[in-house]
Formats: sequence, structure tokens, C-alpha cells
Amino acid sequence: MPALRAEVRQVSKKMGRAQALQQVNAVFDAGKVHGIIGPNGAGKTTLIRVLAGLLHPDEGSVVYDEAGKLLSAADVKRVTGYFPQEPSLYPDLTCREHLEFFRDLYDLPQAPFERRAEELLYATGMAPFQGRPAGKLSGGMYKKLGLMCVLLNRPKLLLLDEPTVGVDPVSRQELWDLVYGFAGEEMTVIVSTSYMDEAGRCSQVHVLSGGRMLASGMPQDVMNHFGVTDFAEIFLKNE
Amino acid sequence: MKFSWRRARSVAYKEYKHILRDPFTLAVTLILPMIFVGMFGFVIDLDYKHMRVAVRDNDQTSVSRRFLQEMASSGYFNLTPVHSPAEADRELEQNGSPALLIIKRGFGRNIRAANPENPGQIQLLADGTDNVQASIMGTYLQGVVQKANAVFAKDNPDLSGGAESGARTGEQIRSRFLFNPELNSRWFIVPALSTIIIGFLAIVLTALTVAKEWENGSMELLLSTPVRPSEIVLGKLVPYFVLTFLDVLVVFVLAVYVFRIPFLGSFPFYMLACWVYITGALALGLVISVVTRQQQAAIQFAFAVGLLPSFIFSGFIFPIENMPAFFQYFTALFPQRWFLLISRTVFLSDAAPVTLAAAFGAIGLFATAMILLAVHKFKTDVEP
Amino acid sequence: MNKTDIVISVKNLVVSFGTFKAVDGVSFDVRRGEIFGFLGANGAGKTTTIRTICGILNPSSGSVTVDGKDVSNSTAVLKPYIGYMSQKFTLYPDLTVHENMRFAGSLYGMSPTQIDERSRKLMDFIGLPQNLPDPVSHLSGGVKQMAALASSLLHDPELVFLDEPTAGTSPQTRAAFWALIRRLSEMGKTVFVTTHYMDEAEYCGRIALMERGRLVALGTPLELKEQFFPVKPLEISFSAPVQNEVRELLKKEGIASAVFGNNLRVRAPDRAALERACAPFAGKFAVREVPPTLEDVFLQAVSGRKNQ
Repeated sequence: MPALRAEVRQVSKKMGRAQALQQVNAVFDAGKVHGIIGPNGAGKTTLIRVLAGLLHPDEGSVVYDEAGKLLSAADVKRVTGYFPQEPSLYPDLTCREHLEFFRDLYDLPQAPFERRAEELLYATGMAPFQGRPAGKLSGGMYKKLGLMCVLLNRPKLLLLDEPTVGVDPVSRQELWDLVYGFAGEEMTVIVSTSYMDEAGRCSQVHVLSGGRMLASGMPQDVMNHFGVTDFAEIFLKNE
Repeated sequence: MKFSWRRARSVAYKEYKHILRDPFTLAVTLILPMIFVGMFGFVIDLDYKHMRVAVRDNDQTSVSRRFLQEMASSGYFNLTPVHSPAEADRELEQNGSPALLIIKRGFGRNIRAANPENPGQIQLLADGTDNVQASIMGTYLQGVVQKANAVFAKDNPDLSGGAESGARTGEQIRSRFLFNPELNSRWFIVPALSTIIIGFLAIVLTALTVAKEWENGSMELLLSTPVRPSEIVLGKLVPYFVLTFLDVLVVFVLAVYVFRIPFLGSFPFYMLACWVYITGALALGLVISVVTRQQQAAIQFAFAVGLLPSFIFSGFIFPIENMPAFFQYFTALFPQRWFLLISRTVFLSDAAPVTLAAAFGAIGLFATAMILLAVHKFKTDVEP
Repeated sequence: MNKTDIVISVKNLVVSFGTFKAVDGVSFDVRRGEIFGFLGANGAGKTTTIRTICGILNPSSGSVTVDGKDVSNSTAVLKPYIGYMSQKFTLYPDLTVHENMRFAGSLYGMSPTQIDERSRKLMDFIGLPQNLPDPVSHLSGGVKQMAALASSLLHDPELVFLDEPTAGTSPQTRAAFWALIRRLSEMGKTVFVTTHYMDEAEYCGRIALMERGRLVALGTPLELKEQFFPVKPLEISFSAPVQNEVRELLKKEGIASAVFGNNLRVRAPDRAALERACAPFAGKFAVREVPPTLEDVFLQAVSGRKNQ
């Protein structure tokens, strides 16, 4: 099952009075780790939500295809995993209970679920904390639990909105390792981040500022394009 | 994507765990009805004994004296005989008796004759400014009348002969209440109160749930999974249904075993009606929650649509038949009115459930409409 | 005013909550006019340490002095000496900046004229117009942070605590904010700052890094990089799509690597050892040294502690 490719075409979206996205174009090639880079308020969350089908563009469209075959919105929803930036787990439910809840939501049979859960718990190092309520997890563990929940379904497109915000450098490193561990032939990953130093970790970056897409490409190429040595400079220069 | 029982069940199971892990809410939900019902039950019991009543006996027969004796021995009334209209006025206006009982001439004769066309007559004039006391007096007096009927029937062997005459004796005394024909009493208040408390709690409980998911951020995650609105709505209804039904049982046990309120109607029918009623209230809470998406707004809404109509438009405080015509129709929109009718009728009479078909239909319609509305209004995106 | 050179002195500080030692034997000094960066993961003991220095928490053992005075019995004396800008509560959103200033100043017993004069200077300093008519909630994130900083400087403290002052702000705001911090330091104020952004830590004079209640690193950014990276980190770039294969191979050799886009970052004993390990893919990759970042230092310091 190949990963999903997503293409954003001329998408504009108003959120309240603010124009959150203005005629944004972007191609998210299948199987890569894409970074949407931009400061707070750049429109990253809006773009990710549009990609997740949770917001509808005022203008423009998003098309998804799987090895050249276009997918319907309902199909996309089934194969997309999304973990929002804001806390979204149930503080009183344990890690294990979260996994079981998502197992049922995704309608997974028990045997593959057990295999998958074990694999994820091992990869995240969360196995010893299965009985701990989500409300008592550290920032990094919380994000890992969320990641596990959405990865249970083996999504072909994984959308992570600022997964590393408020997470210490060690957990950040672990999250990135996880992302690269799962990305590949079967999964496209789109991560948004406001940590400019994280841009270099992505295979493709999409630079968003003030609701406009400034550039897309490999990190080094994008820096060369702007003539900078560091992503923060892009935003210091523009505006 | 089709409706999945498994997803609905998993939402219900998750909700059940939330309930168990929030002991405070759980305790409030189970204890609050007890406190309310207990409070109302006891307060009424303590306050309304030895109510002063002036009595003008225009009949002056052994039958009328016997009746007054029954009345005095009930413990609810302190009787002060008056012998003229002027004396009656003085007793009412200066000595502060809240009521005057007049036994009409011919009372004894009519009772002895036992002619249903021509019963013995008494008249109670009560001070309507304290309408609770006035109506309670009416109810208690009716109890005395019933008891007296039985006594007269026993005293008069001619009358206790057959079933037919027994039925007749029951109608020997007819009471007319000039004030507040609504017959409030503990018997009347407790079943009604259960309607209000349970209905209100149900609305508040579910009004918080969906809003909480929005505030908690979990709704965004949920919406990105294949789960459908109908599954979430069903999954959220079931655990709170069980919880609210526990409340119904608690109140029922309190009413029947602690306050000794008779339960004369059909228990299965009452339970069925309770199920439909709480389903409607829970679904209304969900509609509020789905629309407001904020706990604070939801709770305010729940108070407005839950508490106010419960007291004002249900007939709990203001009898519906005393309302202007428009409001009489308006109250028909509120399930509380219909369930109050069902609750009172089923507790205090053995009327066949068929007679309550309209009321039952109304709460059924309400519940269905609310469930459909909750599913219809459920957002599947995060657009503001 | 006491003109000693040490503003904060923490000696063998231990703070316990029950059996849990939130801070476990921490010692450091902060010098006058220094920008002191205080880093660590959530739960490492940063906040507990700061609260102890501010006199809100009492040490279980050890001592903390600020301006030469023991904090546990001179809290009241030290209040005017310290300014604090919290990450959470900054300004009342429904009041204007000026109204907020009036209120904050009155808490320190300043008269309205004193406040107005002082706030005029501060608004000049942070580069904001004098009378912003809008309530704080209408201001942009950057202006809000600047105004919050001004408010914490109102009573002219010698020592300023800034708790994640730039969290969630744009790169422009962060740059402007750090310029202000540098100017404060030039004016002789001591700035004690916590941050999550490792690239910001580069701007600090000295850095203290906490991990599970202990201090695992202390020094200037340069010192720390040299201390933890006698050998520079290596980056492998590829001319053929063999990144995953190389990563697997390194894993078997016990060499940890992190994916950076199309490259790999590696900590290997030395370059030759790495090239030997990757020999099967010779010709398809190139290795170069990269300067370590403070993030690398953080990872190294923390993992070093874990291995102990």
C-alpha cells in the first residue's frame, strides 16, 4: 500500500477576520517527511487542518492520490492520521485505554492490534507507562502517546501539528526518530514546526509566512534560494 | 462508512470510565436528588400540621359532628367552631385562621339517604395568599372525606350491603375547592419533584460532555478518525442514561419506602415512561453541548432550558389550567409537563396507561426529535 | 547598595517534596550584569530552583543568597530588588498597557507620577509608543511580551527573572526581545532567563543545564561545546539513496544517528572509525564535521547523565 501524495492548489482560507491562508500552493510528495516551517500565526495549523479535512478552503482545493489514483474525501479520512498541537487526549484515561479506544474507532481486529501496539510501545519506549493516565505524562510522553494512537491505523498520510512544542530536546530527538522510523514507502509525513532549527531535519520544507507559501524544496536549496544560512533569517528578512 | 456499533460502544465505554473517575460528579448526581426530595418531603411534613380552620356547622347533626371529629383526629387541623357569619369573619380576619369550613344544612340527612344525586356538602374557603397551604388543606380534607365515607358506610349497615352501595357511599361527600384546585401535597410534590430533578440533571450531565471534548481538544482528534456523529451521540447517551436511571430508582425508593407515597399505577409503564423521558432530556443536553461547544455556555443554557421550564411550565408551581390559553399550549412543548402528568397519575391513581397515551406520545416525540437534532447539528469539522 | 560582584549564590541547594528531591545538591553563582540562561526539560527542577531563589519556597537544605542576603529571611527586603516576568500571567488583557503599569507600580508603592515618568522611560526603551489606546488583548503577541517586560522593570529591579519570555512568538519578536535583554545586561542589570529554544541559549553569557534535580552543565556556550564535544559531530551526506541502509548499519555498530532531512548526524569516536563502519557504501556518501549546537550539548549532557 503506497503512501499518499497531497497537492494543495490555490487554497485560501479566512479564520475570523484574519486571512489565514492566501492562495497557497504546495505539493507533498509521497513517502517523504515534509516540514511546514513558519512562525506562530503563519497559518501552519490552518493548513494542516485543511489537509486533515477538518477545515474547508474558501477557495482552491486539496487533492490526494495514491500511486496516481485519486481518492475520495471519505477514503482519505480513513487513511489519514492527524495529531493536533493542542492537548487532545483524555487526561483521566491511561495509555492502554487510549490505545484500546482508538483500536475500536479504527475498527482494528484484536490480533493485529496487539502486534501493532506492542511494536509501537517498544519503539516509543512507552511500554512501562501503559497504566499511567495521559494527564500524568510529561510533554514528550504525551506526544508519543498521541502519535501511537494515530499510528495504530497505519495511516498513509500522517499530519502532526507542532509535535515538538514544549518538548525538551531529548524527547524532541526521540519524536523525530519515531517520525523517520515510520515514514517511507507506506507513509507520507507532514510536520509543522515553529522551531527554525528543526527545518533541517525534514527532507522537504515548505516555508509559510503570513498565510503565504514563500518557498518549497530541500532545506539546503531553500536556504540557498533566500541566500541565508539559517531558517530564522528568512523570517527576519521578510516582513 | 456505515454506522458501527463497535465505535458507538467504545465511545460509551470511554464515557463510562470518565464517569467512574470523576467521583465528585458521580456523587452529586446520585445524592442531589435525594437531598432535594428529602428536603421537600420533610419540610412539607413538618410545616403543615395543626392548620387552623374555623368551622361553621349549619347542619348540627350527629353526622356532621362525627365528620368534624374525624377531621380533628387527623392531626392536620385545629378546629375553631364559629356560630355566625360575623364570628366567622372575625376568626378569619382578626384571629388569622387561614380557612373556613362550612357544613351545609342537610348534610346529615343527605348522607343517611345515600343518594348519589344529592350528596352531603361541605365547603372549604381557604386563604389563597398561601396557595401551598390552601391546596394542601384541600388534599388533606379530601383524605378526611374518604375516611369519613368509610366510617359512615360502616355505621349504616344498610349502605354497606352490596358493592353498588359501597360505591355510592364514596360519593356521599363532594368537596369543592374555591382556591387553587391544584391539589398539592407531599404526595403530589415528590413525584413531581423527581421529574424536575432528574430531567434537569440529565440535561446538565450531557450538556457538559460534548462541550468538554471541544474544550479538551479531544474533539479535533476524534473528528479526524472515522467515528460518526450518530455513534458519538449514542455512545454518550447510554452511560448517562444508566446513571440517570439510577437516580430514578433512588427517588422512587425514597418516595415509596421513606415517604410512604402510594404507588397505584403500572410500574412497568412508569419505568418505560422514565426511560423515554430521560432519553429526551439527555438528548436535549447533547443538543445544547453540540451547539455551544463551551462548557460554561452549555451550563448556562442547560439551566435556562432545564430548570426554568421544569418549574414554571410543567405545572409544578403554577397549575397549567390556570394559565392563559396561549401558555397552556406553550407548555405542551416541554416534556416536563407531560412527564409530570404521567408521574403524578401513575403514582396516585390506578388509571390505565392508555389514558396517558398522549403524554407518552409527547415525550417520545420529544426524545426522537432531540436525538435527530443532536446528530444533525453535530459538527464534523473544526470550522468556527 | 551592596556592590559585591555576586548577585545570586546557590550552595548545595536541596528542595524535597516528601521523599522526592526536586532539586538535589545544586550550586552556582550568578554575577552582576550577566545574562544567565537556565535550561532543562520540564520537571528537571528549574521552576523549583527559581521559586527558591525568589523566596517563595524554602530550601530543605543548603543556602541561597541574593545580593548577599539569605533569601529565606529577607523576602520582603529583596522584593524591590527582583523583577519577575512569568510565562503565564503577564498583563490584564482587558486593561491598557498604561493601566496595567499603574496597577503594577502601585503594588510596589510607587506614586502615579513616579509610575508615569518611569513608564515613559521604559516605553522608550522597548520602543513602543507612550499611550497605546487598546486593551492588552488587542495587541500582537510581540507587543504584549514587550509590554510585559516593561511592566516587570517598572520598579527598577537589579535582578530580572524571565520565564520563557519568547515562548510562542515570531522570530522577529524573539530577535527584538533578545536585543533588549542584551541592553539590560549592558546597563548592569542581571538577567536570569529560562527558555526552550536552544538557539536562544547561544545569546546567554553563561548557561546552567538541569536534569532530574541536578546541574549537569555550567559554563559559557563555547566552553560547553568544547567540554562535551572534544570531537565535533559528523554529518553524512549521500549521493545515492542509501540513507536508511547506512543508518541500519551504524545501528549494528552501536553508533547512534539522527536523520536530518537527507543527511545523517552522527556522534562517532572519530571520522576514520565512521568511514570504516560505512565502508560497504564507500563512494556513496561524504562525511564532514559540523559545529555542535547547544541542542547537541543538551542531548549529550543529558544522555551522559543517563548512562551514569
